[in-house]
Amino acid sequence: MEHAKPVCRGAETILRIQPNSSISISYHPLFGSRDDLILLELDEKLLQDVLQERVTLRGQPEEDAVFCTQSKTYAMKFVATSNSAFLIPPSGQFLTCEDSSDYGGNSHDQEVVASVIKIAPGTIELNEISPRLDRLKLLLSENPYNFEEAAEEEVIEKRKAGFYSWDDLVNRVQASNDQLRAGLNALSAVEIDGYWRLVDEKYMDTILRMLLHNSVLNDWLLDQLREEEIMNTLEADGFPRMLANHCLHVYGSKVDSSTGSGTLWRLDEKRVCVHFAREILKTGKKKKDNFMAEWLQSIPDGMQASFDMLEGEVLTERLGVEMWVYAFSASSLPLNPAERFSMLFRERSKWAWKDLESYIRDLNVPGLSLEGLLLKYTRRTQPTPDAEPIFTAR
Amino acid sequence: MQIQVKCSCGEEDCPEWAIVELQGVIEAQASFQHRLQNLQIGQLCRPSSQEVYTLTIGYHELTGSKVTLKKPLVVLKKVKLMDVDQENGNSNNSSNVELQVVGIIRHKILFKTRPKAITSKPQLEFKERASTAASTSPN
Repeated sequence: MEHAKPVCRGAETILRIQPNSSISISYHPLFGSRDDLILLELDEKLLQDVLQERVTLRGQPEEDAVFCTQSKTYAMKFVATSNSAFLIPPSGQFLTCEDSSDYGGNSHDQEVVASVIKIAPGTIELNEISPRLDRLKLLLSENPYNFEEAAEEEVIEKRKAGFYSWDDLVNRVQASNDQLRAGLNALSAVEIDGYWRLVDEKYMDTILRMLLHNSVLNDWLLDQLREEEIMNTLEADGFPRMLANHCLHVYGSKVDSSTGSGTLWRLDEKRVCVHFAREILKTGKKKKDNFMAEWLQSIPDGMQASFDMLEGEVLTERLGVEMWVYAFSASSLPLNPAERFSMLFRERSKWAWKDLESYIRDLNVPGLSLEGLLLKYTRRTQPTPDAEPIFTAR
Repeated sequence: MQIQVKCSCGEEDCPEWAIVELQGVIEAQASFQHRLQNLQIGQLCRPSSQEVYTLTIGYHELTGSKVTLKKPLVVLKKVKLMDVDQENGNSNNSSNVELQVVGIIRHKILFKTRPKAITSKPQLEFKERASTAASTSPN
């Protein structure tokens, strides 16, 4: 008996099956475990990003890959199912029914068949996470720009170890483009000859002091520094223009001016004062009175330093009758909340809120507020209702 | 490393795939276990104008319905690329992979009940194991 050749259809028929009709479901000629086919669950917004090719997956082979849009980072989690999910492509997308001669034994004149290409073992779900930027700092710290390099005459021809271009960073750091850029900015990194670099602290200190020195010599106003003039002067003093410009970016901000006299910069009082406080405390802890005297002496004329500026930069402790100050910078702490809290409690076993806040406010964990972080990582004690709460390790 | 997610189908005309989902697993008879290709699984039927479906597998029948997924799924296909960077000395034999969007899934036909035995329609000889898993037989 001659059997009718089946009519091959796919998903479109399954989804629009007419009342009182049926479709035969069979394994596809290309059926298999098909590890090349992956199901990814997306909300409508992320779906648009995917369809418009605005996403990438990032990570080293030994890491769990993350999913990055322009601005956000998501963890990818495989969620297995114990159900059998038969995956049926539309007809025409994979070869169908090429070899369907073993069909038969049906009572219909023409059988409509839809084929299953794979049994999906589960789907990948996305969860927004904070970018994994700790590695960025680690990479850029391998080879900071310093005096020796500045003194080198020849342009670096060949690529050196510890030099990372934007593309290198994107391949190594699990963060979206926007987050990576923000991370570079937070580290005061600068792109030199195509590579993103940190600049050695001593170098930055020297160039800032030179800038301030020139300002005194030339009667420049610290809130109206002319970019061209600064760059030319610092270049004459032996600093590359790129670094002179970087110094303005790190310690100042552009002034909105329509006067037409070129770009103007204003040195930021807080950033400059914090810089000098750090310099003083580099050698170790100091009695607060001595520290304050030295600090006020070292900052440029016209700037006002106040101890509040040092929140998140220094801690104080009472030893006997004396108050001491030592450097403890929030920016030197890990960005991962668990590691951050562990470092904080290693430094001090008890924290008052006013001190703790400046060391955790930059933590940004999607779906977890600062309150949530405190609940998760700290124990809060309050001896009396109107007493200051104290936070200890959990 | 970075893997690009490519999509050639654009927003509107991304081909829609379907999922037919049931509990448990389908086991083919031992002689077919390693050559499932082209084998018939069962018959999907919509007996009325309602969104109610039956799936008949051997002498088991499942009843289910069409559901819209809370969040859509995209079907990604892993594609190995030829190394185009060879002349840059960049090829350390790491295979370049890209993911291509080949489909989108918004609906599935879900059978969440246990199978019911069909006694009136003994299409097949009784050879299959009695379990929640339905079995496939060749016609």
